[in-house]
Amino acid sequence: MKTAAELKEIAQFIAEYATRLMGSGVHTSRVVRNSKRLGEALGVRVIVSAFQKVVTFSVCDDDSGEVYSEVADIPPLPISFELNAELSALSWEAYDRQMPLPEIRARYAEIVARPRLDPIFTLILVGLANASFCRLFGGDWFAVSIVFTATLLGFFLRQRMQARGFNHYVIFIASSFAASMYASVALMFDTTSEVALATSVLYLIPGVPLINGVIDIVEGHVLNGIARLTSALMLIICIAIGLSCTLMIVKNGLL
Amino acid sequence: MLFEILSDGFFAAVAAIGFGAISDPPMRAFPVIALLAAAGHALRFVLMHNGMDIATASLCASVVIGVGSLLLGGRIRCPMTVLFIPALLPMIPGMYAYKTVFAMIMFMQHLGDSAASTLYMEEILRNGFVTFCVIFMLAAGAAAPIFLFNKRAHSLTRNKKYISE
Repeated sequence: MKTAAELKEIAQFIAEYATRLMGSGVHTSRVVRNSKRLGEALGVRVIVSAFQKVVTFSVCDDDSGEVYSEVADIPPLPISFELNAELSALSWEAYDRQMPLPEIRARYAEIVARPRLDPIFTLILVGLANASFCRLFGGDWFAVSIVFTATLLGFFLRQRMQARGFNHYVIFIASSFAASMYASVALMFDTTSEVALATSVLYLIPGVPLINGVIDIVEGHVLNGIARLTSALMLIICIAIGLSCTLMIVKNGLL
Repeated sequence: MLFEILSDGFFAAVAAIGFGAISDPPMRAFPVIALLAAAGHALRFVLMHNGMDIATASLCASVVIGVGSLLLGGRIRCPMTVLFIPALLPMIPGMYAYKTVFAMIMFMQHLGDSAASTLYMEEILRNGFVTFCVIFMLAAGAAAPIFLFNKRAHSLTRNKKYISE
């Protein structure tokens, strides 16, 4: 038996937990499963319904028949695989060891407070990644070095604009334009300039929502899946717009 | 030939680590991501070298990556998606996507010239279709093990001592 206050406390914690997962780019069925498991660990039944921007759910105590419902906004957080892995593990640990709520809450706070990867470190890794991508597509070493620097420029711009809170779409258009425009200097030299141009914007591809969208649809969360794919498609269109601006300017050099 | 396969795998691994870093994976996931990406991309390279088309080869590679993430995920307690999404990214058909966008622009520039615009329209369809198919195959192939081995895939982050077979 839970008192109404206990039930409310559990519901609020699960709301925080589920919206954090949704916001960090976890596919819907995993969020639902983890929340139910966490509820089971705390002795309640959880029924979740998740949308793109909001999560609603009910927490039921089957012994007393008491039900508490909660609606919570999903915050727009950066994608984090670390939270995905650690918070999923937390739900299993709570379930297996029957952890009490204060202990789960403390562990949760500790996991959420962990720092993300260093932005400079990420920047260099992304530059190297896009450069090897260029190599995979058959670019020569000169094109590879151009793509490396173009990606550094584009991704740095993206990081700065994100920190300033610019609109998503504006960020994607601007950084795809900047990276491809820089990569178009390859046209002036005798190199695989087409490969350089094509790969310079690929670091922007929203792979996580694309794949999550497909998983959601196959697992029956069709609405969420389509919403994810639509937002991924919007970002891809933005990449194409930025690239198009460059191509319109330099297209005579490509023919 | 062997050198080409190895270097293909190496560059795929670097690409996967970098693209993965954008999504902030746990540190312990990086070696597995690199291994899966290298295995998948090198397999696709070999298959395409032996005459298989890009969509089917991508499907084979993504299934290997998916199964690999299922087998290795339990050891480091990471969900499958954390491992296979970065590992799939080096297989995104970037050149086809680029050619689609380029053909779209050229199509708009040659609206008056029906021979040229037909040619560009064909390019848009051809490249766009390949891009779509490959991306779909990548997502579907890697996610398939989640649906096939439901129970195991859902308990990768669980402490092993509580799993009763």
